[in-house]
Amino acid sequence: MKLTKAHIDQLYTFTQKHYVEWYDVQTELVDHLANGIEAQLQDNPKLSFEEALDIEFKKFGVFGFMDVVSETEKSMGKHYRRFLFAEVKEWFKVPQFIATLSLFLFFLMIFKSELSEVILLGFYVLFVLWIGYKTILLNRAFNKRRKTAKKWLLEHIIFQQASGVVFVGLLNIFNVFNLSSTPTSTVVAIFVSALFTFAVIISVISLQILPSKANELLKETYPTFVTN
Amino acid sequence: MSNSKLYKGSLNTIILKLLTEHDKMYGYEITQKVKSITKGELNITEGALYPALHKLEAEGLLDVEVAKVDNRLRKYYKLTENGTKETINKLSELADYIKTMQSLVNPKLV
Repeated sequence: MKLTKAHIDQLYTFTQKHYVEWYDVQTELVDHLANGIEAQLQDNPKLSFEEALDIEFKKFGVFGFMDVVSETEKSMGKHYRRFLFAEVKEWFKVPQFIATLSLFLFFLMIFKSELSEVILLGFYVLFVLWIGYKTILLNRAFNKRRKTAKKWLLEHIIFQQASGVVFVGLLNIFNVFNLSSTPTSTVVAIFVSALFTFAVIISVISLQILPSKANELLKETYPTFVTN
Repeated sequence: MSNSKLYKGSLNTIILKLLTEHDKMYGYEITQKVKSITKGELNITEGALYPALHKLEAEGLLDVEVAKVDNRLRKYYKLTENGTKETINKLSELADYIKTMQSLVNPKLV
């Protein structure tokens, strides 16, 4: 017996109830459960759909879909980082490299200046405000998208998780900044300037560039999903 | 899965090997194939299969394709170029392992 569209919808709801939030992950599990249920019903036609579902779900073990979800999140994180580093590479190619170099020299100049602490603190405050503002905007954009479409894991990483990661990274940078607010040697100044440059680039990519390319990246990641 | 601990380390190799023989496969198909080849001796659990597939995908060894089948979507996995190369490595690693184990547990045969 082939499952009906109503059964499939029921399976999507079932995965949602079992904490699978993302449509891409749900879809794979729904197909798996459906195949299992169809085989069960063929072997034993007296079983009800619910009974067969129960048997199939138990095969996932005591933690249910948890392992599948966490492993998918990890691998999608890797996928996202691949997009991120592809963009980082662009900043080391002409013409963007001029911007990267200027940024680096700007930081180096600040660290060498007597007013370095004041300027850096000012820069840091502005940077945090910008990140906070972008985070709010991205969350709003994400919620707006949600009303019209399905929840994709990659979309969640682009719009919600990335800003959190940037923020944590920034707090760590602040520790470095405390340690070396008045760099004693040129080597330290160069190192800290490079670190700050890198932080700015990563933030701009994850909060500005990748979200603006979200649709493109989603299409690339879920090619046939999106058109189906 | 019977004596699952012994098989666990070879799950990736099993998946990759199956995919060299089939152009593309979906998760459920992989579990059934393994079951039928081993005559029910090895039963890959769902909780182990999908995490392994997703990991291989993240490592760039597998590519994904989605197609509409009946009234649902099906996610197929297939080997990438890197995946094909890695399968050869993994199979030779596994063959070495089997040989070593053989010499340890049954020296007369070697």
